[in-house]
Amino acid sequence: MTVILRAEGVSKRFGGLKAVDSVDLELNDGEILGVIGPNGAGKTTLFSMIAGSIPPTSGRVLLEGKVISGGSPRRAVRAGVVRTHQIVRPFQNLTVLENVMVGAIYGKARPLGARERALEVLDFCSLRDRAPQLPGGLTLAGRKRLELARALATEPRVLLLDEVIAGVNPVEALQMTDLIRSVREKRRLSIILIEHVMPAVMRLSDRVIVLDAGKKIAEGKPQQVVKDPRVIAAYLGESAAAAAPAQPGSGSFPTPASGSGPASHPTPPSNPTPTSTSPSKKGPGERP
Amino acid sequence: MQRFTELVVAAVLLAGLYATMAYGLGLIYGVLRVVNLNHGGIIMAGAYVGWLLHEKFGIDPYLSIPAVVAVSFVLGIAIYRGLVRHLPRGPAGAVQSLLLLFGVWLVLRNAAYLLFTGNDQTIRTEYSTRSVAAFGLALSVNRVAVFGIAVLTLVVLHLFLTRTFTGKAIRAVAQNADSCTLVGVDVERIYSLTFGIGTALAGLAGLLGASLFSFNPSYGSGDLLKSFVIVVLGGLGSVMGTAAAALILALVEVFAILALPSYLTGAVGFVLLVLVLVLRPGGLFGHRVLG
Amino acid sequence: MKLLPHWVSRPALAALVAALAIGAVLPKVLGWSVYSQNQVTETLLFVAAALAWNWMGGYLGQVSFGHSAMFGLGGFISARLLLALHLPFWIAWIVGGLVAAGYALVWGHPTLRLRGPYFSIATIGVGEATRLVMTYWEDLTGGSSGLSLPITPGLKSELYWWALALMGAVIAGSYALRKSTLGLGLLAIKSDVDAAADVGISPTLMQDIVLLLSGFTVGVCGAFYASYQNFIEPGDMFGFDRSISFVLMAVIGGVGTIIGPAFGAVVFVMLRQYLIGSYPQLYLGIYGVLLIVVILFEPLGMMGLFFRIARRFGLLRPEVEATLEAKAAVGGAAADPGAREGGAP
Repeated sequence: MTVILRAEGVSKRFGGLKAVDSVDLELNDGEILGVIGPNGAGKTTLFSMIAGSIPPTSGRVLLEGKVISGGSPRRAVRAGVVRTHQIVRPFQNLTVLENVMVGAIYGKARPLGARERALEVLDFCSLRDRAPQLPGGLTLAGRKRLELARALATEPRVLLLDEVIAGVNPVEALQMTDLIRSVREKRRLSIILIEHVMPAVMRLSDRVIVLDAGKKIAEGKPQQVVKDPRVIAAYLGESAAAAAPAQPGSGSFPTPASGSGPASHPTPPSNPTPTSTSPSKKGPGERP
Repeated sequence: MQRFTELVVAAVLLAGLYATMAYGLGLIYGVLRVVNLNHGGIIMAGAYVGWLLHEKFGIDPYLSIPAVVAVSFVLGIAIYRGLVRHLPRGPAGAVQSLLLLFGVWLVLRNAAYLLFTGNDQTIRTEYSTRSVAAFGLALSVNRVAVFGIAVLTLVVLHLFLTRTFTGKAIRAVAQNADSCTLVGVDVERIYSLTFGIGTALAGLAGLLGASLFSFNPSYGSGDLLKSFVIVVLGGLGSVMGTAAAALILALVEVFAILALPSYLTGAVGFVLLVLVLVLRPGGLFGHRVLG
Repeated sequence: MKLLPHWVSRPALAALVAALAIGAVLPKVLGWSVYSQNQVTETLLFVAAALAWNWMGGYLGQVSFGHSAMFGLGGFISARLLLALHLPFWIAWIVGGLVAAGYALVWGHPTLRLRGPYFSIATIGVGEATRLVMTYWEDLTGGSSGLSLPITPGLKSELYWWALALMGAVIAGSYALRKSTLGLGLLAIKSDVDAAADVGISPTLMQDIVLLLSGFTVGVCGAFYASYQNFIEPGDMFGFDRSISFVLMAVIGGVGTIIGPAFGAVVFVMLRQYLIGSYPQLYLGIYGVLLIVVILFEPLGMMGLFFRIARRFGLLRPEVEATLEAKAAVGGAAADPGAREGGAP
């Protein structure tokens, strides 16, 4: 398998805090890579650096050998890397179709046929009948699909999905899981996925990396990674990790997939802490 | 050397006034996410209220501080309750409130023209021209007093925001208004209180400024710009950042007198702003206000 | 055979051409006096200026209180060229517009990093600083005594058709800036500048383009105004009142709509005429009250009223109206000047 996207020692420092600390990452062509970790682990910051919206303090990101980090998001999008936002950000003043057209036009600077391409993407994301509406009228799941559609319209090679499943109801979550899978199968994209909903990560990801406090602490097949004591410690604290038997295969890590246990939700609450929101959301206004 | 010390001291004394007025603008923005474009209007109103009390009733400008602060506080609350509150919250409201408050400023200016004509006014007291000796310099009593009052105001404000329940509530609302609603803070009340405090600071700055400079109904537009430059330089919310930025602006302005014709010194602050935007897009200290 | 881009609506184009054609013959048909024709010329000129202001204020959501800087600069550069070189006036206008556009870029490129309200305050600074410098730069502006332009007999009445052409071009430009693919990008930036950047738009580039276009057009309007008045002085050309007037025209007519500011300009010019005649001490306050009333009750101004009426009589489907209003909406998420490269968490 060929590596399509590679992050080399990527770090981001905000003041005294290392939000992301020398993370290496490889994404194979056609792969779905899950990124998990507790709130504030630096997942979204990592995304922002890959997508070009914030420059890394050190390290670089390459798409097929070409550096895409440290410039503008536009550079990353032109190269073929596009992201979605955890908190959906549709263009409220544009219709659903126009939202997607913006991606189709500006993604690769190709205005011709943008409308047709946008309609095709809307079809793919089951939003065609919503085309003339304003995004305000969509459900949360609908807006998440719109966010995905707008990104797809830029015709990327690599898609960065920031919590597109969290917060929607179980039926919609299943639909979204199917949609993500068909993005890979039918559109031949490679995907990196930040997600708090563990069952979805388990089912979708070929491989998972775990971030904690900005560092990559584990990497591997989903089922192995969740048994890693360091991962358990990151989610539940040291004592839980010590209590949990570390033997592989014991299945004691309390994922919803593996069933019960007193702490059957390692899923941290989905309300974001400052580090896990996009830094761009952060406004001035803190008082001393 | 003597001249240098003189200028530095002059800048420090001026910085107190600048910090007071900038803090008023920054506080309102930090909590309500509304830029009080009427800041200059309130500064002008504060100057005229002080002047009126002095002319008609012979009240010393420093004794009229409570009255001026009260008037501008009430004026601010009235503007918030009567107008600003009715606009949508959030980004769409930000531009609307800007235009609305600009309208209020125009009305205030016009009112001042009608009531007091467009002539320059000054508040002259018997000690206006007196000075005290310090650092081997003769310092104007007025400037020293203005500086002292400004510093005192900022210290009191800082204590209020960090030590009292209401002050803490204001800071909490600035952080996250929704959570405050959940824990039972009356966010509307905090908003209108904050707006009032912000305008009270502007009014006070107007009065203090009026005891140093002459003024007319257009007075305050320069101060709005200066406040703005300070907020961009110093970031929001930190008294120290605001004070440091105020000092920088005052130093640049004062020393610009040496190099530039006097009519250009008013533009210095703005040039400083553009330079900062180009060279240090993140502002000099603290939290960013830039996009 | 496809002669027009897909976003050009034929009825709209036909309406514009027809309106311009009617406008061209109107003075003869109605037998206007010189005075009324001049009034109309001035109105058309300000229609053009208000629409150009709206490209920044309405399309980008960046409200400028400093457009007098470009208006004045265009005027004085063009006046100096006419005085020194005796160029054809339209060449002087274009050069004036270009200089104004260049100046707009010089101050606008850095300050457009500021979003929404912060940008607006910075523009007050730009306007004031420019006014100060220009008032004292006597070699360019003639200082407080101003400049008189060479008088060309018959020019003033000829200017009516020039104003009509200028306005026609600016209306077409407004339409293109909203409806074209560029316009879609501008709407996206107004709505959410970061999300727009994330799908490949370069907000800096797009904002600079709009700034140049708006600066150029307002500069040409200033140059036109100089030719029209024959005498200009910096206090009037660069005055804060001048900047406010652009804001008011757009707000009264409907910020962010394609054609609203045009109606706003017509109303404003008539209103100012009346106020300056009847209540010279009150006009500033009345502008203020107008702003307050419009923002509180109908943020989309006359266009907002028009949308309401059209819906009442079933001329506009509610969905269509909602879409139109959303596009015009004064600010988007982008108006939050929050940092885009966040600080410490």
